[in-house]
Amino acid sequence: MNRILRVPMAVLGLAAGTLLATGPTFAQDEKGKAVYDKVCVACHSAGIAGAPKLGDAKAWAPRIKAGIDTLYESAIKGKAPAMPAKGGATDVSDADIKAAVDYMVAAAEGGAGEPAAAAPAAPAAQAAPAAPTKPRPAALSFNRLLKPASKRNPPPPEDGIHDPDNDGTHALQAPLQVFEALPRSNAGNRVDWVKSLDNNLIAPRWDRTDPAAAPVVMDLNIVREVKGSMPDVVYPHKQHTAWLDCSNCHPQIFIPQKGANQISMAAILLGQKCGVCHGKVAFPVSECRICHSKKKNVMPVKNAQAQ
Amino acid sequence: MIRRLHALLGAPLLVGVLAIGHSLESRAEYADVVLNRNSEKEGMRPVVFPHWFHRIRFRCKVCHAELGFKMRAGSNLVTMGDIIDGRFCGACHNGEIAWAPENCDLCHSGKPGLPPGIFGGHETNGPGIW
Repeated sequence: MNRILRVPMAVLGLAAGTLLATGPTFAQDEKGKAVYDKVCVACHSAGIAGAPKLGDAKAWAPRIKAGIDTLYESAIKGKAPAMPAKGGATDVSDADIKAAVDYMVAAAEGGAGEPAAAAPAAPAAQAAPAAPTKPRPAALSFNRLLKPASKRNPPPPEDGIHDPDNDGTHALQAPLQVFEALPRSNAGNRVDWVKSLDNNLIAPRWDRTDPAAAPVVMDLNIVREVKGSMPDVVYPHKQHTAWLDCSNCHPQIFIPQKGANQISMAAILLGQKCGVCHGKVAFPVSECRICHSKKKNVMPVKNAQAQ
Repeated sequence: MIRRLHALLGAPLLVGVLAIGHSLESRAEYADVVLNRNSEKEGMRPVVFPHWFHRIRFRCKVCHAELGFKMRAGSNLVTMGDIIDGRFCGACHNGEIAWAPENCDLCHSGKPGLPPGIFGGHETNGPGIW
């Protein structure tokens, strides 16, 4: 893999070297293209996460208007919401990044590449001046459940568990590159995964190899009456069978028989029953009302008196 | 006076404890899993498995029913031998469905010294026995 890459890179380097003698601007363009092909292309060819596509004059116009220095700065330092510093390739020099910006600007001005008919909401999302995310007071970080916006969904090099000294870390996709386009929620990944799937915003495979395989969705709600004043729990098989196989839950976690399963919040918080997934990978128990969603039939007091 | 002294003494200690816990856990993406029962012993960085990245591409069932990943933290001992033989991660990371295992540093990207487990501010703890 490395060797295959190295050859064209060497050729490119050679080409750039010889071209430098004939015309510096042309060589600069070649350099820009090389960097674009290596780094920027990941998002700027398909327009991922609102990135302006290469050659899309409409999407680039407001950015070019802001001035080339602003563009350089956004490219080198990164820009909210989705542009990572240097497109994530921190080992590339500032000059090379600038060359890549020049290349993309030239492509937009020259109308090179295919001009996208509609730039989906990209100008509106990014033309607004990037509000610098202010560091919140440390007091807010006491409660890990109340993360300030600046601490949510950080890119891998900043998330505290990836090693920023590892080259591979910088090649990994940042969560926000994807999450920006998905419906948000208040906990967990802060993505409403069920809605994302229902609205076809994501298309996770049901079968490892067959992209066309569709799940057998079972639409059956189970209502569990709970003690106390909390609303009853409605368990929807539908949303669960869209992701999971029956055997994931039955019969080991939940015995498929009415009345056979004792479930309590204590068990869930210990990672049992619903807590096998909820609180670890599915939405956590802080979102009470997603499960406790059916109002109880309150005793009709007036009628009781009338009798 | 005594209370003030307590506050003075307590504050740096508390901040220190929070800083350690905070830097390790709460910034990680929800449901990120660190695998490190073999990695560092074998001289590699720990592995970070991002659930969010995979669930965009595959439903839970693919890994947790077809590939045999048990859903209990700590119950899957994955070795490079398994992966190269096409088991666990290797069922997809084979150069056909996803990139091949020679891209070591994409998976082995965790900070040295991380304990294995689920990171990212998960809220249900305990042994998870069922």
